[in-house]
Amino acid sequence: MNEPEKFKLNLKTVEDVDCLYLWGYLDAHTAPQLESAISKSLGNGTYKILVNFRELDYISSAGLGVFMAFIEEIRDKGGDIKLTNMKPKVFSIFDLLGFPLLFDIEAEDKSALEKFSFNLNKNNE
Amino acid sequence: MSKPGSKYHKLCIGTDLSKLQEIRDYITSASKRFGFEDSEAQNIALAVDEACTNLIKYSFKFDDSKKICISIETAKKEFCVNITDNGDPFNPLIVPTPDMNEYFRNMKPGGLGILIMRSVMDDITYLSSTENNEHNILKLKKYLV
Repeated sequence: MNEPEKFKLNLKTVEDVDCLYLWGYLDAHTAPQLESAISKSLGNGTYKILVNFRELDYISSAGLGVFMAFIEEIRDKGGDIKLTNMKPKVFSIFDLLGFPLLFDIEAEDKSALEKFSFNLNKNNE
Repeated sequence: MSKPGSKYHKLCIGTDLSKLQEIRDYITSASKRFGFEDSEAQNIALAVDEACTNLIKYSFKFDDSKKICISIETAKKEFCVNITDNGDPFNPLIVPTPDMNEYFRNMKPGGLGILIMRSVMDDITYLSSTENNEHNILKLKKYLV
């Protein structure tokens, strides 16, 4: 019997922004899927990444580590990773370690996309 | 170890990271039954996830002969998760915890799991395996207030 799926990821491109929609649980088992999706975007020359957490119920340090692994390279290229639609229980894990200081966490895709179009990121706000 | 008659059963897994969800479900359910709120139960499950992930990745190095067993002991207001393993000793308490300001300046991944465990649990102890005891034991305690 197949195990129930624990994590899914969908990609939607809006102009020059790759939007990744996460679903399920992001832990050490599933984080490599997110890692390859972001690698793929960078490989295609896309450095504006929006990650929508609306359907994500859990994140551990393995998931947080994926964002840390890419953020420097992405910002060096003038892009950013913007995070949106986080449930309070997921935000609380980001907040526990002070990640909101480093990452731009927006309530909705709309505001994140607007910021991308004005080319703003956390570094130069 | 869970004592005979304990209302919490013991859960054992190997080196399969896909079992992390089962571990979290087990801890969340047990801690809620003990009386913790949802958010606290999630944090305890997160700490146990981090401990098991560290064991599988860094102590077991994916060696299939290694095993983790998780049991729960409770006393009055104390909820204690015992994580025993037969891997190389890996004492998370001697791993330096990153200074987050420094961490963000350097933007390097890794080392966060132990910081999470320390942040969400009230007390952590570690006993390395000895000649008489082949298992390492990590005890993660949280008090109900």
